[in-house]
Amino acid sequence: MNGLSVHFEGVSKIYPHFTLDNLSLELPTGTIMGLIGANGAGKSTTIRILMGLVHQDQGQVHVLGRQMPREQAAAKLDIGYVSEDMRLYGSATLAWHMKFIRSIYPQWDQPYAETLLRRFDLKTQQKIKGLSHGQRVKAALLLSLARRPRLLVLDEPTTGLDPVARQEVLAELMAVLADEDRTILFSSHNTLDVEQISDQITFIDRGRIIASDNKETFLDRWRRLRLALLPDAVLPKLSGVVEVGGSGRLPVLVTNRFDPAMVSACNDAGATVQAVDPMTLEEIFVVNVHSRRGKQTV
Amino acid sequence: MNYAMVKRLILKDWYLQRWAILASLAGIVATLGIIATGGKVAFLIGLVVLIMVIISIGAQMAVATIVTERKEQTLPFVMSLPISYREYTACKIWGNLLIFLVPWLIMVVGSCGLLLLSPSSRGLLPYAVIMSTEILLSTCLILAVALITESLGWTVAAIMIGNLAVNGIGYVVAHIAGIAKGMWGSTIQWSGAASALLLGEFATIALLLGVTSFVQSKKKNFL
Repeated sequence: MNGLSVHFEGVSKIYPHFTLDNLSLELPTGTIMGLIGANGAGKSTTIRILMGLVHQDQGQVHVLGRQMPREQAAAKLDIGYVSEDMRLYGSATLAWHMKFIRSIYPQWDQPYAETLLRRFDLKTQQKIKGLSHGQRVKAALLLSLARRPRLLVLDEPTTGLDPVARQEVLAELMAVLADEDRTILFSSHNTLDVEQISDQITFIDRGRIIASDNKETFLDRWRRLRLALLPDAVLPKLSGVVEVGGSGRLPVLVTNRFDPAMVSACNDAGATVQAVDPMTLEEIFVVNVHSRRGKQTV
Repeated sequence: MNYAMVKRLILKDWYLQRWAILASLAGIVATLGIIATGGKVAFLIGLVVLIMVIISIGAQMAVATIVTERKEQTLPFVMSLPISYREYTACKIWGNLLIFLVPWLIMVVGSCGLLLLSPSSRGLLPYAVIMSTEILLSTCLILAVALITESLGWTVAAIMIGNLAVNGIGYVVAHIAGIAKGMWGSTIQWSGAASALLLGEFATIALLLGVTSFVQSKKKNFL
C-alpha cells in the first residue's frame, strides 16, 4: 500500500437496477483525482464504498492503508468527507458543530478554522437552518478542512452553488492543494470544476471506469481534426480515432492518440486538414461516454 | 468498540433533543403532583397523562434521533465521523434507552411510592410494575423498528401498535386470575403469574435489542 491513499481492486456492488462493475482504482498520495460521471454513473456509490458506508459485494478496498469497510472507524479519523447530500444539524449553530468536531479530532486546527470562517464569511453563532445553501456547503467544508485530514473526499460539493460561492470553494480547495501530502478525491458532473483543481482524471459511466489518466495527458492526446476530402479520396485509417462525425466531404475525426504525423498522413491520403482543435475535458468526457456506449451496444 | 465516540454521539443526541427531554420531565413531575392531590379523578387523569407523556418521549426520541437523521440527511455527517455502524447502533440504542429510563424510572418510583403511601391501593402495585415494564417494552419495539427500517411509516406503525398493546395487554393482565385476585386489596400479593409476566417482558426486551443489533450488523448499505 506504499504511496497509495486509495486502492480499489476488482470492486463490484450489485443493486437491483445498477451494478458497479469490477472497479479498480489507484489514488497515489498527494494527488488530486477528479471523478467525472453523469448522474447515476456510480460516483457516489464508489465514494460510499471508499468511506465504508456501503459494503462492496466483491473486491478489496484499502484506504490510507486500512481495509474497508472493516477498519472504517480508524480510516475515517484521517478522512474529511463532504457530499452533496450531507446536511448539518439545522437547530445547532456552527460554533456547536465546530466544538463537536474538535472534541473528536485531536488534529483540529483552530487558527485555520478561524481563517476559514473569515474567508467564507461565516458567523459561528448563526444556526445552520438560517444559512443559505452556499454557506452550508462552506460550513461543511470548514468542518472537514480544519480537522487537517490526510484524505479529502468531496462528492459533488459544488452542485447547486452560485458562481461566486463555487469559485470561493474551489479557491479554498486549490489553497489546500499546496500541501503535497494531502490527497483529494473530487467527484462532479461539472467538468469545469474538476479541470480547475485535478491532476488526475477518471471517467466513470454506467458503473464502469471508462478512462483514467493524467489531466495533461487527456488534454494533450485528445484532438478534433476537421478535414476536407478531395473528390474520390477516402478517409485515411488513423490510429486512436474514437468518433467520426461531420458530413461526407467534410468529416470531423476525434482521436485520443493525437500525433502531428497524423496531419501528413491525412494530406497524403488526399484529405486536407483544415483545423486541429484541442478539446475541453467536457468534450473528451462526452465523446468517451458515447464511444463506450456505442461499443457496448454493438 | 470505541466507547468515547459512542458517549459523544449520545451526548450529541441529548443536546439536540434537550427541549423535548426537559418538557417531558416537567410534564411527569406536574402529573405526579396532580396524582398526589389524592382524589380518585385526579389519580385516573394523572395516570393516563403520565402514560401518554412517557410513551411520547420514547417515540419522539426514536423518531427525532433515528428516522429524522436519515430524512434530514444528517446521517452522512454522523457516518463520516470515525465510527462503525456497530458503534452507531450502540449509540442509538443506549442513548434512547438511557434518556427514556429517566422519566420511566420517575414514573415507576413515583407511582409505586404513591400506591405504597395509599393503603387502600397497595394491591395495585404488581399490576403497576407489569404495566410500566410493558411501556418500556413498547418503547424498545419502537426503537427496534426505527433502527432496522429507518422509515417514518414503519415507525409510526410501531408507535400505534405499542400504544394499542399497552391498552390491550393492560386489559388482559387485569383479568389474569393471579393478578386480578389481589388487585383491589390493601396488601401486595405478588403471584407466580406476576413474576412470569415480568420475566417474559424483560426477555422480550432482551430479544428485541439482540435482534436489532444482529440485523444492524448484517446491513451492507447505510446510506
